[in-house]
Amino acid sequence: MSQADKPIPRSITQFYDTRLEAYDEMYAGEGQLQPHWQALMQELDHLGREGLERRHREAQRLLRENGVTFNIYDGLSGTSRPWQLDPIPLFISAEEWSVIEAGLVQRAELLNLILADIYGPQTLIKDGLLPPDLIFGHLGFQRACVGLNPPGDRPLILCSSNLARGPDGRMWVIDDRTQTPSGAGYALENRMVMTRIAPALFRDCHVKRLAGFFQPLRDRLARLAPQNREDPHIVVLTPGPYSPSYFEHAYLANYLGYTLVQGDDLSVRDGRVWLKSLEGLHQVDVILRRVDDAYCDPLELRKDSRLGVTGLLQSARLGHVAIANPIGSCVLENPGLLAFLPKISRHVLNEELKLPSVATWWCGQANERNFVLENLDKLVIKPIHRRHDYRAIFGAQLTVAEQAELRSSILHHPHLYTGQEMVSFSTAPSFVDGWVEPRHAVLRSFQVAGEDGYIAMPGGLTRISPQSGELVVSNRAGGLSKDAWVLSNEPVEYVSLWRQPGNDQVLKFRTDPLPSRDADNLFWAGRYVERAEGVARLLRAIFLLRRELRDADGEVPKPYQHSLLRSLTHMTGTYPGFVKEGAESLLQSPQPELHSLLNDVHRAGSLASTLRIFGQVAMTVRDHWPTEIWRIIDAIQQDWDEDEEGPDSGSSRTQDRLDHLIMQLVAFSGLTAESMTREAGWLLLEIGRRLERALGLISLLRATLVPEMDSVAKRQLMETVLVICDSLNSFRRRYHSYIQLPTVLEMILMDPHHPRSLAYQLDCLQKYVAELPRPQGTHRLGEDERSILKAYTALRLADAAELSKIEDGEGYRKGLDDLLSAQVDSLWRLSDTMTSNYFSHSQPSQQLSPQQDEDV
Amino acid sequence: MKYRITHTTTFIYKASAGLCYNEARMLPRGLPYQEVFSASLEIDPLPQDYYERFDYFGNRTVYFSIQQPHDKMVVTAVSEVETGVSPLIEGAETLSWEMARDRLRSDLSDEIVTASQFVLDSSMVTVSDQLLNYAQPSFPPGRPLMEAVNDLMQRIYQEFKYDPEFSTIATPLKEVLAHRSGVCQDFAHLAIGCLRSLGLAARYVSGYIETLPPPGKERLVGADASHAWFSVCLPGFGWLDFDPTNNQLPGDRHMTVAWGRDFADVTPLKGVAFGSGKHKLKVSVDVLPIG
Repeated sequence: MSQADKPIPRSITQFYDTRLEAYDEMYAGEGQLQPHWQALMQELDHLGREGLERRHREAQRLLRENGVTFNIYDGLSGTSRPWQLDPIPLFISAEEWSVIEAGLVQRAELLNLILADIYGPQTLIKDGLLPPDLIFGHLGFQRACVGLNPPGDRPLILCSSNLARGPDGRMWVIDDRTQTPSGAGYALENRMVMTRIAPALFRDCHVKRLAGFFQPLRDRLARLAPQNREDPHIVVLTPGPYSPSYFEHAYLANYLGYTLVQGDDLSVRDGRVWLKSLEGLHQVDVILRRVDDAYCDPLELRKDSRLGVTGLLQSARLGHVAIANPIGSCVLENPGLLAFLPKISRHVLNEELKLPSVATWWCGQANERNFVLENLDKLVIKPIHRRHDYRAIFGAQLTVAEQAELRSSILHHPHLYTGQEMVSFSTAPSFVDGWVEPRHAVLRSFQVAGEDGYIAMPGGLTRISPQSGELVVSNRAGGLSKDAWVLSNEPVEYVSLWRQPGNDQVLKFRTDPLPSRDADNLFWAGRYVERAEGVARLLRAIFLLRRELRDADGEVPKPYQHSLLRSLTHMTGTYPGFVKEGAESLLQSPQPELHSLLNDVHRAGSLASTLRIFGQVAMTVRDHWPTEIWRIIDAIQQDWDEDEEGPDSGSSRTQDRLDHLIMQLVAFSGLTAESMTREAGWLLLEIGRRLERALGLISLLRATLVPEMDSVAKRQLMETVLVICDSLNSFRRRYHSYIQLPTVLEMILMDPHHPRSLAYQLDCLQKYVAELPRPQGTHRLGEDERSILKAYTALRLADAAELSKIEDGEGYRKGLDDLLSAQVDSLWRLSDTMTSNYFSHSQPSQQLSPQQDEDV
Repeated sequence: MKYRITHTTTFIYKASAGLCYNEARMLPRGLPYQEVFSASLEIDPLPQDYYERFDYFGNRTVYFSIQQPHDKMVVTAVSEVETGVSPLIEGAETLSWEMARDRLRSDLSDEIVTASQFVLDSSMVTVSDQLLNYAQPSFPPGRPLMEAVNDLMQRIYQEFKYDPEFSTIATPLKEVLAHRSGVCQDFAHLAIGCLRSLGLAARYVSGYIETLPPPGKERLVGADASHAWFSVCLPGFGWLDFDPTNNQLPGDRHMTVAWGRDFADVTPLKGVAFGSGKHKLKVSVDVLPIG
């Protein structure tokens, strides 16, 4: 039935259809509403379809504005998709949660003991509780990590299990994540959004808070530090912005107060791990990693890895750095292990396994193998290790030929395969396409090692299947997510993530070091945002002029328009454009070129591409932006892309688009000025911005005011330049109706109090560059300081009246041009010096291979 | 026999490297039939970091890093060892290959659990039907394992051409098998693959062999090379080495350095250099008998 055909219900819940013939979370059995869903039912009936739709929209808006995405690998282009949140949470009663929680805690404890044993004495193998091939044949078993002895009583810091309710009403474990469990950050973000869109329901239901998980996580990580225990430096190691869950890495780093780094931001020296920062090397004590085991160290693990830190394993071996989870913990991500957990639990914990796992048969054993082969069409076949090409195979969906092929693979390498029972999991009410429908749901739980055992996050990340009846649930497959509400029987206390200092303790102020890569990216974010604004202002002036031209029927002198078009090519670096070969015809009909410079994202230098790059650069340092700034960055991208127009740009709509964009860019600048602390990050952003504004202004002036023009064109150009530089009003106030070149130059070149002037940019640059960290004990000016001093001095010594003159026979203002050209040289020198002094965060590395390929 | 072994590796970079990290497995292991009097690495320039450990397989492993700009790195391993012949345990001759295979599957003693890892695929050796087919003629039912492996070694020696031009380190076993040629590494990998496809445990051994100069010629210093062979597990009796390149059971003229599942586990020297650009490599090995 399409949405339109559905009857308008008086009550949503009355029409809730549980026909999937599975156990439903809301109705444990036919017609029996679970009491803990009662509050939700009332809320849903009260809200109605429209109210629910409103909440859904509100949730998506918040998620989008906060930049919550899940990146999907899509060939080279890597797209990100907004995170999807169902406005209906999954309810779990207090009584039920206590059962699940006990099972999760026990399971984490068990997994931890197995991990410690595999990389230690291996008694489970020798006692016959774990088959050798199941462990030694698993790609996740890292021989380099055996005997490495990670710090702490529980090496497995974090783990995660996917849970679903079986037809018998009990919660089952489908699989476990032990390497770099992801999703806790998404769960947190979901919670933030839910409390915004349904505050009353949240309060009335006594929902347990997630801080109960994050606080022990912070404590545990801090305690892992081998040194600097009072104030350890903890980093989150991410594979980078192209990782599917990069949002989460940045979000958690921000929430927990850690530095977000990539592999080549770190360097091992003297057996210790250091962060390359603006201030120099800074020792790292603990790494919360999101890089997979095999990619963590190209020296000892996968040598083709570009995501890791060379020498990391040795540093961990020496005990100079703690890594959570320890490298090698992927060995537990093995569905074959499920078959052996009950016995191991009895043996090492002397307890029955509290949470059952999905029935699993490991093909490394003869009887189990035969069973799997005989029931191939009834089972889900899973390889024992997860790889990029890993997928669960539903035997029933295979053709005869495919079944034969699978059978042969299993017989060749039996220990690499498992068969699992296909279970029909429970459904939960979900808001899909404007309707409340039952969907299969999987709950991902999170456990962290605490002082006296594991602590489970009260709740977790719930994913629901994208299609009705579909059993596969994953973010990659495009599933939706839900918040999970664990209810409490009494009001829930507020838990703060802040640590409380003792009474007399005075906390030391500390600024985290700024990673060199971030410094580099902030510098370029400043440059791109300013470049976008400069180009947008110039384009706006050009379109305005062209409208006037049309209205006045060609009254505007050509040289005037041509100067502006040429300055556009110079400013955007989109040669040949209006400057070099083919310029004549483009100048005659500039519309296609202007349209391209506005909209063509694939053209380097166009406004669209500059905005795109700005967005990408800003994304790489997203943990530095306060939420409001991130929203503006996001809105800039969204609005520009959404508004793209046909090739007839030049209409008043183009003007509106540019006006809107310029407003947003100015808002970005305003927000950075108001909400970023004046630390290194802000400094770099400002230096980039000021440098770019100076360069943009110079290229505008060289294309417009340097060449000789007749007096009408000159006057119009001066006025337009003032408009582009946002200076016309101030100019009028100051000089009334007289417009002359020396006064124009006075204002936009020389005036150190005018924020659009060249002098103002140089003045700022001089101040900011002086604040950059310098080697101790030297009184010499740095090369960067010299460059800026030279430029500023030359400008201050210049005389506006002199600069305005044209010597006989030269045809252009040579004095002005020489001055501006020397300024450009100095500014480029400044940029190069900064790059080599502060941003050289990564050098290309080379494998020293044993191959004797060339004789010396 | 007593030997002094000098194994020198020189890397010359295109550009100066600011940092480099290396892992070396060049110091010989001590064994019941091999005494190591001295073994050390000389590294130029001097590394800032230097740590020794035993790896998972018990090989002496050195981690070092150089943290100053350098455009050349020379690593020299100098060792003095005395070799003997590993004694054969009585009764091993009669152990059939099927019994060996079955014991690897059923026994959970330390020895067998350790050995069972050498039955599984490793990064450079993956079992296949081709390998199984090649191995089978040497393994008729009931044949003693030692005799069968000896036969396999002989066939590899006779049917494969020793050809340093053909092989690089990355030559896949499939090609070695198809072209019937390779070098000592390939022959070792080939034999290991054959044995594993039968469910037997086999490991890769790296080391050196004393080479005699042609009659009437002087011994040339540095003209020797690294060598490699394989070892098979006789469950309950230990391991026995075979050298398919020379068709012999290694004796006191073979010097063992390290062992693992394949070459990747025992690479003598590997590393990562930052800023170096491409590099050139020169290796020289000198095996000097010292009485």
